Amino acid sequence: MTKKKPYELTQSQKMMVFVLSMSLYGLSNMFTELLPSVKLGFLELSVEYFAFIPLTLCILFHPLYAAIGASLGEIIFGELMLGQFGGIGEVEKFITFSLGMYIAGILVRNPLNRMQVSVAVMSGLLVHHLLALMVDIGKVWVGVEELEAVPGLAESIVLIEGVAFLNDLLFSGILFALLPTLYLVPRLYGKIEPLLGMKPRNNKVQYSLGEIVTPKLVIVGVILAAIAVVAEFMSEADMNIAEWEFDFLGMFGDSFIWVVIGAAAFIASLTIWIMRRKAKDQKQIWGVHHEE
Amino acid sequence: MNEVSSIREKFSVEFVKEELLRTAYGNGDTFLARLDPRALIYWYLFFGIAPWFIHNKMILSGLLVFMVVTTVMARTSPLIIIILCTGLLGEIAFLFFISLFFGGGFESVLPMFWLTVKLAVISLASITVFSSMDPERFGDALLSMGLPSQVSFSIAFGYRTLPTLMEEFHQIFLSYRLRGKAPDSHGFLYWRSIVYFMKILVVSFYPLLLNGAKRSRTTVEALETKGFSYAATDSKVKKMKISYMSFKWSDYGFLTASFLYVVVVFWLGSVVQI
Repeated sequence: MTKKKPYELTQSQKMMVFVLSMSLYGLSNMFTELLPSVKLGFLELSVEYFAFIPLTLCILFHPLYAAIGASLGEIIFGELMLGQFGGIGEVEKFITFSLGMYIAGILVRNPLNRMQVSVAVMSGLLVHHLLALMVDIGKVWVGVEELEAVPGLAESIVLIEGVAFLNDLLFSGILFALLPTLYLVPRLYGKIEPLLGMKPRNNKVQYSLGEIVTPKLVIVGVILAAIAVVAEFMSEADMNIAEWEFDFLGMFGDSFIWVVIGAAAFIASLTIWIMRRKAKDQKQIWGVHHEE
Repeated sequence: MNEVSSIREKFSVEFVKEELLRTAYGNGDTFLARLDPRALIYWYLFFGIAPWFIHNKMILSGLLVFMVVTTVMARTSPLIIIILCTGLLGEIAFLFFISLFFGGGFESVLPMFWLTVKLAVISLASITVFSSMDPERFGDALLSMGLPSQVSFSIAFGYRTLPTLMEEFHQIFLSYRLRGKAPDSHGFLYWRSIVYFMKILVVSFYPLLLNGAKRSRTTVEALETKGFSYAATDSKVKKMKISYMSFKWSDYGFLTASFLYVVVVFWLGSVVQI
């Protein structure tokens, strides 16, 4: 890229990428929800998701909009339509998945370079699955109160999640993310962009690996990793508090649950109130803006 | 023989497609579907989140009963229920198997069982709410709660475009099958057939991506002709869009009844110990 113009899209082009990514990944998600999985002992061979669709789109277009569109598509088609919406869990999935896809997208400078695409795909998946792994283990920790009391349970959950992680990364990751992406990206490059009325991403200049791993990327990556780790530690601290509260429960009896419920309800209503207020503020700002 | 073919018929592609569409479009004539979408969302905010923090077995059982009743009221598709059940049972069986491996034994099943009950309550609550809500009304409810209008548009658009997309995908898939050559033998454990179908499934997305790109361009152009991104940020448009929603007696009744039931269950939970 000869520093002529940065790769930029208009508002409606962004919307196009968003809609495309959302509808197609959503559709594929519907299939994966229904496809049966094959279990070989510990190894569960399942099509976890068709990640190649958002990956391809993130590499070819603006990664941010493709990534967010895909995550939203998954929630709408794969969860809401099938009535499987998981509540808070979906927020976490939304963030980790978008982050993974986005990272894969920005790592690629030249979509025709297979090596670059492979590295990007695998690192995107790694980010997504690693974060998901942490959250999954944390979830069971919160949900099961007597986890420590039961021998073997904690280890077995860690083992299951670990196997699932390796399975997602190496089996589903390679078969349903890496190979199809390597098949689709060079084929679609230069063909799909005109359909959306935009130019392909520039690939004239070959980048060496040193140029891809720019200081900015490293810094952002480190910061995001730090955030993930902090979030993980915080959730762990949370869990400890929760466990500590169960002792409380023993002291004060079952009525303590009312405090928890009340707090939950309070936080929920507070969130709604803040959201509505924010929406109103935005409305006013935008309203003024448009009247100008 | 007859039964076998009827079972096969039940699980054909067409059946799955129909069931999905039925779930997606919901049944507009149930009691729950006629409630205000915001009431259902508030309802869900409690039943989707609170069970995580409840460890009292009596309360969980009570909530499960309530969720089963509401799921029946919502007339959910059996396919969805089957998927949910196999998922939950499969998970518990798998966990049990693994914890046996670590010498855990039967006692480790019990906490896992209650975790499954918890998950079932949460999933059933979401099935109840989201299968009985009209997507457009749901989108408008989210809009009125302050989410960006792109989200509410995406939901409505997703539901509208689903039949077209499915039809198109199915046709591409079939045309690949027509032109290609299926493996002569299924191979050990059907692996040849599985690989063959998986390959087609992935390859089908190539034309679908191109068609989808064209369609999304048309969609966005049509949207912009009607001034979408201007309207998306305009408060007057938003107000007009959500003005039809209002809380009625049935909404208050539903929320009150749920609240009373929860109170009773909590009282039972503090009295009766399982």
